[in-house]
Amino acid sequence: MSSWFHLPSVSRVMLIAMTALLIVTTAFADSPNANGDSDGFANVVRPFLATYCQDCHGPEDQSGDRRFDQLAIEIDSDNTLIDYQDIVDQLNLGEMPPEDVDQPSDEVRQKVIDAITERIAAYHESNRSVSDQPILRRLNAREYRNTIADLFQLDVTIFDPTQKFPRDQTIEHLDNVGETLVISGHLLARYLDAADQVVTKAMGSLEPPAVQTWTFKDGFRQQPEIDQVHRKTNRFAHMTLYDVIGADKHEGAYGPILDFAAGVPLDGIYEIRFQATAVNREHPYDPEFLGTDPSEPLRLGIRPGNREVGNLHLPQPIEPLLAEIELSDEPQEYSVRVHLDAGYTPRFTFRNGLMDARNLWSRLIKTYRDQFPKNLKNGIVAARYNAIALGELPQIHIDNIQIRGPLHQDWPTASQRALFGKDWDGTLTERDEEETRERLSNLAANAYRRPATEQEVDRIMSVFRTRRAVGKEWHQAYADAAKAILCSPGFLYLEEASSAGPDYGLASKLAYFLWSSMPDKELIRLAKSGELQDPKMVRQQVVRMLNDPRSDAFVDGFLGSWLGLRDLGSSPPDRGDFQAFYHYNLDEAMREETTLFTRYLIDENLPITEFLDSSFTFVNRPLARHYGMDPPEGYEFQRVSVSDPRRGGLLGQASVLTLTANGIDTSPIVRGVWLLENLLGTPPTPPPPDVEPLDPDVRGAKTIRDQLEKHRSTASCNECHRKIDPLGFALENFDPIGGWRTSYGRGKPIDASGELRGGVAFNNVVDFKKVLLERSDQFARALTGKLLAYATGRPLGPRDRPVIDGILETTELQQHRFADLITEVALQL
Amino acid sequence: MTKTLHASRRQFLRASGVAIALPTLESAASANDKPAQPPVRMVCVGNEFGMYPQSFWPSETGRDYKLSHLLEPLEKHRQDFTVFSHLDHGLKGGHFAVHTFLTGVKAQDAKAMPEGGISMDQRAAEFVGSQTRFPSLTIGSESGLHGGCRMSWTRTGTRVPPISGPRELFRRLFVNENEVAKLAASDRLDLQGSILDAVLGDAKSLSKRLNPNDNQKLDEYLSSVRDVEVKLSLDRQWQKVPKPDATIDEPRDEGLTKDLPKIYDLVALALQTDSTRVATLEVGGSFAASDLGIRKGYHGLSHHGHVKESVKLLVQIERYQVEQFARFLEKLSAIKQPGSDHSLLESTMALFGSGMGNANSHTNHDLPVILAGGGFQHGRHLSYPAKSNQRVPLCNLYVSMLQRFGLETDFFANSTGTLRDLELA
Repeated sequence: MSSWFHLPSVSRVMLIAMTALLIVTTAFADSPNANGDSDGFANVVRPFLATYCQDCHGPEDQSGDRRFDQLAIEIDSDNTLIDYQDIVDQLNLGEMPPEDVDQPSDEVRQKVIDAITERIAAYHESNRSVSDQPILRRLNAREYRNTIADLFQLDVTIFDPTQKFPRDQTIEHLDNVGETLVISGHLLARYLDAADQVVTKAMGSLEPPAVQTWTFKDGFRQQPEIDQVHRKTNRFAHMTLYDVIGADKHEGAYGPILDFAAGVPLDGIYEIRFQATAVNREHPYDPEFLGTDPSEPLRLGIRPGNREVGNLHLPQPIEPLLAEIELSDEPQEYSVRVHLDAGYTPRFTFRNGLMDARNLWSRLIKTYRDQFPKNLKNGIVAARYNAIALGELPQIHIDNIQIRGPLHQDWPTASQRALFGKDWDGTLTERDEEETRERLSNLAANAYRRPATEQEVDRIMSVFRTRRAVGKEWHQAYADAAKAILCSPGFLYLEEASSAGPDYGLASKLAYFLWSSMPDKELIRLAKSGELQDPKMVRQQVVRMLNDPRSDAFVDGFLGSWLGLRDLGSSPPDRGDFQAFYHYNLDEAMREETTLFTRYLIDENLPITEFLDSSFTFVNRPLARHYGMDPPEGYEFQRVSVSDPRRGGLLGQASVLTLTANGIDTSPIVRGVWLLENLLGTPPTPPPPDVEPLDPDVRGAKTIRDQLEKHRSTASCNECHRKIDPLGFALENFDPIGGWRTSYGRGKPIDASGELRGGVAFNNVVDFKKVLLERSDQFARALTGKLLAYATGRPLGPRDRPVIDGILETTELQQHRFADLITEVALQL
Repeated sequence: MTKTLHASRRQFLRASGVAIALPTLESAASANDKPAQPPVRMVCVGNEFGMYPQSFWPSETGRDYKLSHLLEPLEKHRQDFTVFSHLDHGLKGGHFAVHTFLTGVKAQDAKAMPEGGISMDQRAAEFVGSQTRFPSLTIGSESGLHGGCRMSWTRTGTRVPPISGPRELFRRLFVNENEVAKLAASDRLDLQGSILDAVLGDAKSLSKRLNPNDNQKLDEYLSSVRDVEVKLSLDRQWQKVPKPDATIDEPRDEGLTKDLPKIYDLVALALQTDSTRVATLEVGGSFAASDLGIRKGYHGLSHHGHVKESVKLLVQIERYQVEQFARFLEKLSAIKQPGSDHSLLESTMALFGSGMGNANSHTNHDLPVILAGGGFQHGRHLSYPAKSNQRVPLCNLYVSMLQRFGLETDFFANSTGTLRDLELA
């Protein structure tokens, strides 16, 4: 219920603007014609405001903190601009004047709209000054990590040099705003540490690594809690997996190879061979009771673990899924190749396993009492033993493990060539000063995304010489100088215009917009040759860049910054009420759906109205079941058509519905504000300071609708809440994790109907989406604004309006297709 | 304005950054005759979801108030703490304002503040400077609802990255590096020093190319370089001083619920050995109700909707937190100041509270606040006016605490003075 107090800066600016406005315009109040009025602007607009607006926005009443009788006649500042823009937007939308008061004729309304629009355009025309916003911005953690990966050709599946960075602050969900991305001493100290880690990793082993093989045939202990049972039942002859990793208190969720706890000695690709058996896929128990589907093959996952971080049988902060395998019911040998970082050991997991095995042991015995001996002892120890030894629960057995690697290593490695230069031969003999300087200069140019200046190289060389002077070997001193490059403002900040010319800045802006990473050789080449100055070339590059897999970083970064998708999971749903969320890894699935959906809109260049309603989406089996759809074949995500009109578009996607709830219950206010901010681009003003907050009381039969109705009976609350609440009510049929519901429980039915200002009524979310589609122009404007803010790394102000209008004019002819829109935004960089 | 403050801070750090006082270990101190006043310490503890108001606030005020259910665990130390009612920062935002507990300012508005939204503990840490190995210790995690408690903030508006658990805290406090590692660490400090020289040059030449707005941005970088220079010189000095011997074994991390007593013990040891004088503990993130045998989630219970069963479980969680705080006070009161009859509690201000007032309605007013120890007159429930035009800012308490800590300051964030009725003993 609180996210909307987190005021977007635009509305804050507006409030301040309002205050300033009242002071400024009072001076004109005595002589309203002081500015003169040659073209009838005042003759048209002033009487209109007096007749239709000033009852509520005048001397008596200043609804929504707006007062128009004192509004300047000329648009002479951004403050006045904001008010006139607001007036014209409200008139265009037909939201004002409200339906219960006198309405102007269509002709009069249009005349006023035209007059104001013209005047706004004239203001923009006379104010084409260079932006006074700061344009220097540092890389955020996401960009830093991607840049490191590209600069040094490092696999960052496991490696995260930003792990200890203080978390980046966001503004309106944007994580790349220069103003908000601060560097502090704490962060700089961590940049120094990160540079050390990165360069050490890039340098890697100084000798070509020998391929090693490790074999494990017995002694498969896993974790103290279950070892005592396994000692008796199988003498540790194999590992046994029971739980999914989403369990609360894990028992047999991870199969670590404890004899290989120190992990692999070097970064690289390793082959893991093992024998595995899917045991008891078909079992004598009720599938509902276990929550597993006997028709699905059991699936094994492989995730890395690091004993320095904590116990290997428990979750760890870094454990990406490295491989996934469908198992046959018969014992069979499998082999996968995965990238592992030095010190990491592979751990086996059970992708579609049991949930909370620790509680399940005794529940199983209680539920299937007749299948177990009588007079069993009480307590967890006895229950666990009997459920494992005598029960027939689905489980995975693993033995005969062999690990071999590192494999297929080029020598010198790609990372070493990135560090020392592409002609590097891997010999560590001393190089002369001139060669050293050239190599470091090239590295600095790559890192700074532009040629390095002589002075910059001088300073890097001085680090090199200092290190040589204290007795470091050549390669070590070189590496230390490389660390300095990674701490330089040249690397950490994105510059608009470097000493080397503006084109390098543009190459970087395009790269960080579409890849969240550094420009590649091609972009740098075009910057150098000046070809990037040609808009046609920029278009061509955008197409190329969107076709490159690196643009997945755009989908990820933009969805985080537009919808707040990165916050999904930051308010975890209640385990008791929403067990499925944890059992079936739904948060990952939800994120994946929205990501694949957005990716598809780009790849197919579809109209952005698909975001509002769509006849297809992407689901895997658990998500399909969550939606009550037929599960697709196989375990991977598939594009499916949506026949259920409730589900198409973002508002039917569980990701959006979960991140707009708090994991416990839903609030029409939070969801309403989210819609206004992110889909409609009209964030509501904050509540007045002395408003009494809702104190939810669910003891009686009160529904949220009853509570909000009471809230709305106060005039000052109603002003905004009649705009907010109906939007949220339209989504009330979706529970806190996006499941469909028809009642709040205890016989309190859900009413998802509502009426928008202007008298448009709807009965449910299906109707509501039709209303939204009718307002798709407003949505297009909001989305374009978000794209532009994300691309430029700054929140937008009133002066950006003409740019957005220009983009929309271009894309309108083709129904605002998403890739087109991205391209037009890129052309504004 | 911010600029001058930056400059004065640099001068201050420069001035104090070089001279290093040896830690007042008990053994070292006994060699001295009579140490002057023992140093004042500050410990701030905050949680994410506040305290259930109906079980927290005592109904009477003054000296003879009856302890509420949530204050009962502090019975033994009744004379050692004060509970304050109707104090807050006048802010809204529910979970999004919890991080203002020690700053009085929302992170996004920090820029506009004269001291950049620095938190009270970090203000105190600046004052301690180089006198202890760690100017401050912040223990907590990045996880938790909307980032967790997020209590410690720097002057530049970034969060102080927390130490994640008892194991890391123990290692920082007590584990000395072996000679090889020490040499390597010393070498790394040298390297970082010369890297800073180089990048400072880069920043200065970059600054010539930038417009004034961008230069302001670059100032952050420049002052960060200086902050790290000071930190490096501190690290270098403290490297020569061996860490105190550990009197306990290295603990394991088992999630915050189980770790809480271990963390308090380590904080007490950190104060006792004068490894730090400022510690902050964020009770957020991994605090799992399941470790108290409760099957429901902590956040879910905080949305109790006045359902009796939920309230009962919520209060059980909160009472556990108070019990651990009480245990911490007990520990501090049992530790004698080196060479004096006074206990560590008498020189330690221990603040306990939250940036959340009422989690069920997501309000951030009437924050639960307790202050123990530190040489104040305690034993009372001090109630301040509830009326909106007469309210007293919580920051006034912080001014009193900072003054007691030794700072010559008469303001903090949105304070209007010191906190009236709170007197030194």
